[in-house]
Amino acid sequence: MSVVTPLLCLGQLDIARPLSRGAMPTHVETLGNGLKVILRPIPDTKALSTWVVYRIGSRNEVPGMTGSTHWVEHMLFKGGGKLAKGDIDKMISRLGGKMNAFTDTDYTMYFETIPASAMDTALMIESERMRNAAFDPKEVEAERTVVISEREGAENQPDFAVEEELWGLAFHVHPYHWTAIGYKQDLATLARDPLYRHYLRFYAPNNASLILVGGFDVAVAMQHIREAFGRLQPEAPPDPLRLAEPEQRGERRSDLERPGPADLLSVGCHIPGAAHEDTPALVLLATVLGGWRGFVPFAAGDWRPRSNRLYRALVDAKLATDVGVRLESKLDPSLLIANATLAPGASLDRVEAVLDREIEKLKRAPPPKSELARAHQQVRAWARYEQDGVTFQGMLLSAGEGLGAWDFAEALLAKVERVRPEQVRAAARRYLVEEHRTVVRFHAQEVPR
Amino acid sequence: MNLPDRTVLENGAILLSVALPSNPFIAIRGTVPAGIAAEGSEFGLAEFTSRLLLSGTRRMGTAKLADRLEGIGATLEFRNGDEVLSFQGRCTRETAAETVRILVDCLSEPAFPSKEVERIRAELQNDLRIEADDTHHRAVREVSRLVFPKDHPYGREPKGDPSRVRRIRRGDIVSFHEAHVGPEGLILAVTGDVDRALIDESIAAPLSRLRGDGGAEAIPPPPPHRPGSVRIPMPHKSQVDIVIGAPGVPRRHEDYYALNLANLLFGRIGLYGRLGRNLRDEQGLAYYAFSSLDARTAGGMWTISAGVNPSNLGKAIESIRAEMDRLRTEPFSLEEVRDGKENQIGSLVVSLERNAEVAAELHRMEYYGLGMDFLERYADIVGELTEERIRNLARKYFLPSASSIAVAGPIGRLRVPW
Repeated sequence: MSVVTPLLCLGQLDIARPLSRGAMPTHVETLGNGLKVILRPIPDTKALSTWVVYRIGSRNEVPGMTGSTHWVEHMLFKGGGKLAKGDIDKMISRLGGKMNAFTDTDYTMYFETIPASAMDTALMIESERMRNAAFDPKEVEAERTVVISEREGAENQPDFAVEEELWGLAFHVHPYHWTAIGYKQDLATLARDPLYRHYLRFYAPNNASLILVGGFDVAVAMQHIREAFGRLQPEAPPDPLRLAEPEQRGERRSDLERPGPADLLSVGCHIPGAAHEDTPALVLLATVLGGWRGFVPFAAGDWRPRSNRLYRALVDAKLATDVGVRLESKLDPSLLIANATLAPGASLDRVEAVLDREIEKLKRAPPPKSELARAHQQVRAWARYEQDGVTFQGMLLSAGEGLGAWDFAEALLAKVERVRPEQVRAAARRYLVEEHRTVVRFHAQEVPR
Repeated sequence: MNLPDRTVLENGAILLSVALPSNPFIAIRGTVPAGIAAEGSEFGLAEFTSRLLLSGTRRMGTAKLADRLEGIGATLEFRNGDEVLSFQGRCTRETAAETVRILVDCLSEPAFPSKEVERIRAELQNDLRIEADDTHHRAVREVSRLVFPKDHPYGREPKGDPSRVRRIRRGDIVSFHEAHVGPEGLILAVTGDVDRALIDESIAAPLSRLRGDGGAEAIPPPPPHRPGSVRIPMPHKSQVDIVIGAPGVPRRHEDYYALNLANLLFGRIGLYGRLGRNLRDEQGLAYYAFSSLDARTAGGMWTISAGVNPSNLGKAIESIRAEMDRLRTEPFSLEEVRDGKENQIGSLVVSLERNAEVAAELHRMEYYGLGMDFLERYADIVGELTEERIRNLARKYFLPSASSIAVAGPIGRLRVPW
């Protein structure tokens, strides 16, 4: 059922449009300074989740400055403008709220979930964060070891090495070559001033969207948003990214031999950007191969799907103890990744051969209608499960906005509904091809004592 | 939120529910008393059993069960814990009856096919290897073993060890299941897109058909803790994990609420309380440095966790000790206590924003006997805590000399100043 939100309290300089797509009423309006505001009121909830997504991620970094976007994200919890160091922490804590931030390759997002009666606190924090962060040199230096520590914690896990190797090998030109955490050598040498310039360049109202989900009145919220953000000055729009990854011609492989508890296999195949017309078929292709766990991370928790081809062929067959397929839909062409943790005694050659066999089957024949119906039902059900509470809804809208449209997931779901079996086979034939794929094999070596 | 509805079914199972109209699906949380505490000396048996509950029933094979569940878009998970076997799921109004029927089938008539027993055996062996390579997991396990000694259920490795995993037979699993999984002691909480008719027809009716033995046995109090120190060299790692732990209190203990608030102030509130402010914010030593309070039926544990570069190990441990000592020289201020109380009371709105969180809270209220009006009383419980009591309990429980420590990672010959 579609609901149209009435247009309320529109300022002269603002551009507003009602939205009829999607199951829940959503009001979208752009302030005069370019800040896009997306409001989803939920009348019977007392909580409010406030999100700001900036169109800046590690894809906007250059070699030598990898990890700078993530480091900037850390600095935006340290005050500036009306906020002294520790104020954000204290204000949200007193409200019993939760807050966090995420740096992605394509975008960075911040959120606070608090009682709805405290809306102004969240708006003030996000408004100050947008233009007035302090970047005190002493604090920048203290945070250097924190971000390095975050990276070292990840390095303790063998799958981090596999992931970093996979992206590094699959992308030679495009900044997806590195992951959002950045390289340790860059984190060790980055200086305060370039970080601060990175912040000033990309943190501006016309490069951001503000998303509110929860218990509020749209007209009242818009008034408060104008007061908090209306005076912030825009920046010149960032230049579009000109780097494009050349077509991969030939399989790329890497064999890592390191201490670890189990062999790992990771295979990445190039796929088009999220907005491409083949993305709905790729969603179902990923689901048939490895199951579906929703559009954004976290909602699924530890749940793992079992009714899929790779689980049957590898886990049921005792060749692997865990498998997963991730459709990494991004702004730019990206990867569909299949991962396996090998069972004791299984060989990487054998697991890779079985994976190849399953992919070949998908290329030879479209999935039976019953299998595709199951995949459709999973994607449909997860679209509801991901609406669990204001925080997850805010995350879903923000991640969608980071990919170009707040209703990205809803619109994609509608397109997924129309995908036919033959389109899944066509997607497998087009994208799961040897010359476009990258294979990383982790050969676990005995752990030193 | 309205007061939850509580029903005791004829077979003894307890069903709790609350409607959350804005939520477009149903969350399910439940337990039966078939966790580690029920396995006696047959270490690893509860974990092994829990992993086989989605491996097929008498009516449905492994693959068909997965197809049925995922064909309706539902999820079900079973997990072994110290005290209980827990299960959780998601479904919609339209699929609730079928999901609960499948849940009841999995609980009452699991087939435990031999092929699946062997698959799970290999999976457990792999998981033991993976966890043995995880610095945080290793340190937590060692501290748990020290705080809850003599193979107490709270201190044991849930999976047992590789030799136990090799020795467990299908017959052991069948016997454990028959003895411990049934409606007696079962608690099921459902929240979200529900109403009375749906609860009665789609959830209570299939749940009433659950038969079998079971029921909770008393969990003995943990033996006394003798503080110890464990070094776990893992030279191939980048970071050292530090875990420090000491006994806490059971969930129903009179000290629980004040201790919970003390823990919040010490290592949780905001960016990890006093601990995080010192180690992360001021010194930049760690990405994470926090404390946790785990309170169960017969005991509990308080822990500190931090991940640091090996070159900062000594400095980090000394800083943790200094923060614990500071509880005596510079107790929590009135402002800190006020902030903590406001946080706990305010968090009622925020921590219950999700369907799944409400279901989990409902379950906790029943499991620990807190009463269905607990959420209404909570603000008063916290409001009545005195500053003096919070400070005294922090001094009493958060003592370096009464705590054990484990460090895991590339520690070489580094000293552990504890």
